[in-house]
Amino acid sequence: MKAAGHGMVRIGAPVVASFAICCLFFWVAGYDVSGAILGILEGAVTGPGSFRQTLRWSIPMLLIALGFMISFRTGEFNIGGQGQLMLGGLGAVAIALLVPGPPALILPLAIAAGIIAGALWSAIAGLLKLLYGADEVITTLMLNFIAVLFIQWVTVGPLKDAAVRGETASTRKVDTALRLTGGDGVSPAMLAVVGFAIVAAWLISERTSLGLKCRLIGANPVAAMWQGIPVRRLRFGAYLLAGGFAGLAGALEVLGPNGRLVTDATPTIGFTAIVVAIVGMSNVPGIVLAALLFGGLQAAILFLPIVSDLPSSGLRIVEGLVAAIVTSRFVHLRWKARSPAPAGGTG
Amino acid sequence: MTPALSCEGVSVRYGTVEALRNVSIRFEPGKIHALLGQNGAGKTTLARFCAGLVRADAGRLAIDGDRIAPGDVSEVRSRGLDIVHQRLTLPPGFTVADALEFSATKKKGRAIFSTSAIARAWGDEIRQAGVNASPFARIGTLPIETVQSLEILRALSGHARILILDEPTALLAPGAITALFERLRRLRDTGVSLVVILHKLQEVLEVADTVSVLREGRLVAGPTPVAETTSAGLSDLMIGSSGRQSSGRDARRAVTTGAPRLEFDGVTTVTRKAGEPGLRDVSFQVGASEILGVAGIEGNGQRQLADVTCGFARLASGRITLDGQDLSVLSAEERRRAGMRAVPFDRMSEGASLETSLWENVTTWSAETFRIPRSPFLSVRAMRDRARHLLNGLGVRFSNVDQLAISLSGGNLQRLILSRELAGGAALLVAAQPTRGLDFSAAEFVLDCLGRLRDDGSAIIMMSSDLDELFEVSDRLIVLRAGRISGEFTAPFDRRSVGDAMVGASR
Repeated sequence: MKAAGHGMVRIGAPVVASFAICCLFFWVAGYDVSGAILGILEGAVTGPGSFRQTLRWSIPMLLIALGFMISFRTGEFNIGGQGQLMLGGLGAVAIALLVPGPPALILPLAIAAGIIAGALWSAIAGLLKLLYGADEVITTLMLNFIAVLFIQWVTVGPLKDAAVRGETASTRKVDTALRLTGGDGVSPAMLAVVGFAIVAAWLISERTSLGLKCRLIGANPVAAMWQGIPVRRLRFGAYLLAGGFAGLAGALEVLGPNGRLVTDATPTIGFTAIVVAIVGMSNVPGIVLAALLFGGLQAAILFLPIVSDLPSSGLRIVEGLVAAIVTSRFVHLRWKARSPAPAGGTG
Repeated sequence: MTPALSCEGVSVRYGTVEALRNVSIRFEPGKIHALLGQNGAGKTTLARFCAGLVRADAGRLAIDGDRIAPGDVSEVRSRGLDIVHQRLTLPPGFTVADALEFSATKKKGRAIFSTSAIARAWGDEIRQAGVNASPFARIGTLPIETVQSLEILRALSGHARILILDEPTALLAPGAITALFERLRRLRDTGVSLVVILHKLQEVLEVADTVSVLREGRLVAGPTPVAETTSAGLSDLMIGSSGRQSSGRDARRAVTTGAPRLEFDGVTTVTRKAGEPGLRDVSFQVGASEILGVAGIEGNGQRQLADVTCGFARLASGRITLDGQDLSVLSAEERRRAGMRAVPFDRMSEGASLETSLWENVTTWSAETFRIPRSPFLSVRAMRDRARHLLNGLGVRFSNVDQLAISLSGGNLQRLILSRELAGGAALLVAAQPTRGLDFSAAEFVLDCLGRLRDDGSAIIMMSSDLDELFEVSDRLIVLRAGRISGEFTAPFDRRSVGDAMVGASR
């Protein structure tokens, strides 16, 4: 209990401080601060349909963050969630559009295809790291760009919706029978899938030998090696899981609120999700709370310009500040975990 | 004659470790002085003190008879003293000329420089020194002996007249060592005073004019002219005489050695790390209820021996079997399933994960055995109970199993590691320096644990740099030198002959 309270302070303090600094900006810039606060609350919680919007944005962040967490616990900094999300969407949309069959069969198949596509995309970075030592920060980041271009090609090429004209390319709409939700992105079916994913992530990371061994690997890979734990194999497993969760997020976007695969539909979700995982202190309950917070922010960012003259970019400041404050304390953890074990003294 | 370099009453402490105790030594100019001693004897500390890199708790340093303020590198350098470190320091990504330009002692600091001018200037120096390297070659692509020659060139470029070399032979192949010694002799003949740290007797006898021996931070002999010494005499000085009474563990030895369990047959390995010899044609057996002691100066293949036994390194040739089963095809995980256990060299960085809870440190490796029946999920409660039981069984002092391993003292941490490794018995235990840094009672406890395990029928390989301890617990002893078995002994052990095998002395 004491540890949980300590955690709340550690995470709560930067969040509150970020809001305070943001309000200071609004005040200096001459905006109505109390109006802005009310607007944020209305956009994220109290307004009609606002909380659904919050949930809608929380879901992909949450799923990607859970995958990131599993990978991060092994000491790997897999920031390819964005690309894995997009590939997951592609896998799901390909099945949903191209494979005929009863929805009760095709829907689970499409979700599975999304998970597998995300996992394979992540596996590329995993193999490059574990076989050749290529830094996963670089490779996962670069794979994000490749994913964007690949999806662009798919949406203007093989899967192009002939009816769409203009800048944004997209695929055809998925059949309604294959959709988990309408445009608002929330439905009992969707929440059930997400709930299942949360429980699965918790069980994997806290109650399986894979999860516990991954945690030991992240804390001290050399000690893990001496105890016969197959460090590289489990790290690769963590890459697959991370990609799988992000791929699931992508599939749910396509089969839920978006209804189709659109280039640049959610260009920053994968990165916000890393912040969510870190703010959530790399544990499942923390990540659920952090996802709600950042989902709420995202909803408010989209809502504010509608009801006030506040620039929505003002709220990006909050997002950025929370990320900066929390990660600045996290970076040393990451580097500490990676630095080689101190060599014994000689002479 | 005024000594080129002298130390007076130098004592250096690192925490609770006394690296140097009241060392006074004077090196005459124009000679090659060898500094000899085992690992941890204080050689490097003395060298670093002389170079102004370590501050002493007490003592004085003088160059050419003039006192030097302690710990002042630039003062020491300007007096013409430089050091070539054991680990080479030239940046691997630089070209030879750039690396020398930026790390040389010369004072030339120009903000804007011409690469070709630098290359030309250093190219001349490299040629004059007889080093075979292009000024444009990258340091990282050169053979190690060339880089070392460049390090010496760097040190001398500041017109050093006193040069300290810290274990310059450690990284070199035999042919390169001969060439290095030739270079050192030429330097001496031009009037440079050299202090060379060595730990092989043959090398001392080959190159040095005088020899001084350090043991456990004390100067035990020298500088003595090499002509007046023998390898046997130096070996005795290095290894020392027994410092400890036998605790009578021998008398409690109840079980006799059984059939061979672990067999090494012609094991040869290749290492990629410089300065770490691979094993060369190593063959031995360890029987049931037997402790095989492995003696040797550190860095002579002990780590390779542990690595190939535990499955972290591949064999180039040969065979390792445990109870008749070929280990070389098994992964580290499978070897543990076959009953192999290990106490790693360094308990802080290898033996335990310090930022991890006690229960995870003890039970995670065998997590599969704590599955809830008919499910893939674990019972964390069972794991915590098991950890509590094991830790209590070995008398680890802790308040609850959730506390982090970093909160344990050294002796307690080693007990935790033993509680994990000895749980459920072991077919084979590799114990690497299991008592290093422990106080007397903690060390005794560890040795008692090994004794009990032996009596239960396990085969044990025990590596230690403490000969007294090895003599006390081992049934048999092998000595590793440069990756080969240089001696094999059975109890009772003769300290002198084991020491000779360690350092390569002949009588």
